[in-house]
Amino acid sequence: MAGFEGFEKRLELHFIGHDPTTLQLGLRKLDFHCIQQTLQAVQCSVVSALGNSFFDAYVLSESSLFVYPTKIIIKTCGTTQLLKSITPLIFYAHTHLGLTLSSCRYTRGNFIFPTAQPFPHTSFNDEVTYLETTLPTTLCFRKASIMPSKSSSLAWHVFTATSHLHHHPYAYTLEICMTDLDPTLAAKFFRRPADGKSGHSAGKEMTAATGIGEINEHALVCDFAFDPCGYSMNGMDSEWYSTIHVTPEEGYSYASFECVGHVSGDDVDVDIVHVLRKVVQIFRPGTMSVSTTSLGNNEVWREVAGAVEPMGLKLRSCAVDQFPECGSVVFQTFTPIRRKSAH
Amino acid sequence: MAEEGQVIGIHSIDAWKEQLEKGVQTGKLIVVDFTASWCGPCRFIAPILAEIAKKTPEVTFLKVDVDELNPISEEWRVEAMPTFLFLKGGREVDRVVGAKKEDLQNAITKHATITAAA
Repeated sequence: MAGFEGFEKRLELHFIGHDPTTLQLGLRKLDFHCIQQTLQAVQCSVVSALGNSFFDAYVLSESSLFVYPTKIIIKTCGTTQLLKSITPLIFYAHTHLGLTLSSCRYTRGNFIFPTAQPFPHTSFNDEVTYLETTLPTTLCFRKASIMPSKSSSLAWHVFTATSHLHHHPYAYTLEICMTDLDPTLAAKFFRRPADGKSGHSAGKEMTAATGIGEINEHALVCDFAFDPCGYSMNGMDSEWYSTIHVTPEEGYSYASFECVGHVSGDDVDVDIVHVLRKVVQIFRPGTMSVSTTSLGNNEVWREVAGAVEPMGLKLRSCAVDQFPECGSVVFQTFTPIRRKSAH
Repeated sequence: MAEEGQVIGIHSIDAWKEQLEKGVQTGKLIVVDFTASWCGPCRFIAPILAEIAKKTPEVTFLKVDVDELNPISEEWRVEAMPTFLFLKGGREVDRVVGAKKEDLQNAITKHATITAAA
């Protein structure tokens, strides 16, 4: 009997075009109808949405969508068929905007309930085959890899494809996956029965009550509390997004935190140490995996162990690999120094 | 009136002032949709707002483009879109930031009663 699958599938698509006027707004100009059709293919829907001068952020029924002028990031959980968004997006970007797909990145952890997943998410092999046959052949530099940890149930799956070895600017992506959440902390993500609140206002309360609002106090937050439990939020801070999704039920509890940021030289603009510590404090997970991706100097990964070890988590494994589209990916896993006693 | 039941587009500071003045005189709730042409979420909520407007003629619905009327969006500290500002007697009584259908409807229902004249 499967519970809700918290582990997400994440897809990032980059587009290029020749008309500078189109590129200013690019994908943000897509009719909502196109987005809706794409989400229908994936089997999820929009819960709330917000846009600033850099990008649009959507909280979905099963995770999040971010639309920048030349890139789209979709992250969905449950039994959604995320890869089915590729064909409609390529079509709409091309026919409505004259934009061409230039690169694709697909990542995910290990499913808690792998047999509950629909095709092509039935196995990484199936996903890779689907990607290989769906992506245009112009994306000729490709690589698929499963990055291991010391545990067979914890691995990081990465597939990337790109049309040329171009460089995205100096940004890094940080993807954190946590399981076996502290039950007392996870309980904060259950709604009180018949509270008479909308999902948005209950979500706002959870953001404050759990301390999530303190991760980045500058960010504009779009949050939502699902009934009877579950929580999603998107944070927007100029061009940088952050996103958190929580499945609090005991037995298959899961929480994810993801953000992007900018590294130039020695400066990391987001205080990664503060972010990591707050995330551990909010969830106190039994297992945590941290994947950092960046082109050029990926120094962000070095900050992770130092940030979380004082919080009682010990680094158990560290794997590194290089990928054609996104540079280096470092996958680290942590578990508490002293195993929690059974409850 | 032809404008009731519709979202009225505001295209000048004068038109804005006129609507605010009208609101003060009539005591009617004004809901302002701060929107931008480049904002996907605004396109998502627009038809939903139009539907609500049709069913709520006792409320005045205005639409302000933040690029077109930048001084107004700055005055009301609009940082992201859509932002729905709720005005009564020329003052802010509520605001909904983001395309949130349920919160938007709840806020409109909550504030829609016309303040009885003193």
